[in-house]
Amino acid sequence: MSDTTSTTVAATPSKWMLIMREERELTPEELAGFSFDEILEQMGAYNEKLIAAGVLVTAEGLAPAAEGLVLDFAQTPPIVTDGPYGETKELFNGFWILKTASREEAVEWASQAPLGPGVKLELRRVPSIAEFDIDNEHIQRERAWRESTGQL
Amino acid sequence: MKYMLIMRQTDEAVEAMKTADFESIINAMGQFNESLVKAGVLLDGDGLSDASEGFVVDFSGPTPTVTDGPYGETHELFNGFWTIQVSSKEEAAEWAKRAPLSPGQKLEVRRITDMSDFEDFADNEYLRSEDEWREMSAEHRKGEQA
Repeated sequence: MSDTTSTTVAATPSKWMLIMREERELTPEELAGFSFDEILEQMGAYNEKLIAAGVLVTAEGLAPAAEGLVLDFAQTPPIVTDGPYGETKELFNGFWILKTASREEAVEWASQAPLGPGVKLELRRVPSIAEFDIDNEHIQRERAWRESTGQL
Repeated sequence: MKYMLIMRQTDEAVEAMKTADFESIINAMGQFNESLVKAGVLLDGDGLSDASEGFVVDFSGPTPTVTDGPYGETHELFNGFWTIQVSSKEEAAEWAKRAPLSPGQKLEVRRITDMSDFEDFADNEYLRSEDEWREMSAEHRKGEQA
């Protein structure tokens, strides 16, 4: 293998965040074609596989963006506005965090998600606390907090 | 109820961050995190690595396609989040206001759904086993680092 360095990096166990992105809102016709029960079945079966494989760290769905709020730190104190942040395509409605042995394994799991046209998954690596300067007292306290809550 | 605080920033703010004093950012973030932990509201929080290191899986075709690099425009991305457990939307906004962020940065605050959002589907077997899954995942996390 010629590029041993990148192979080593890719094989390091790390956490990945799978961010569900919807590129557009579904039309009423498309929505009518969906059975929510079926979506629950498919998502449930996928989550169960992730748990059985021991890779699922956490997962949540978000309530509609219309119910949310945005804080703009352009001034102090920040300006609070009700409603969504930016364009609909900039939003996301749910995520999973997986711990996998390699980037390839993260790709494998992401590809199996029960998602359809108009939906993309953005995958981002979650850096470990070990990647930060350990001499800083706040980093040390964060490490202690993560240890106590099982979120290292 | 649980809320997710999603850190959003303009490209300019990302650039400005590169010349900022990283130690003072860590200290300000550390103090904010500590206040969340002490108040007992912090559930989780993570920063994300650079989007250029990430990839995108597109489900438009018959089989998903994988592309290296960022999703969409850089200003659509986010680089970190907190999830907190609070008693109201107002309390979520109060905590969000205290985050040590600066011009060019925004926090998008979204409520995390819970079982009450799915009351019509209370009989679904997967929803019924969700509490058990959450316990298993938590045990798995603790067991792994022990």
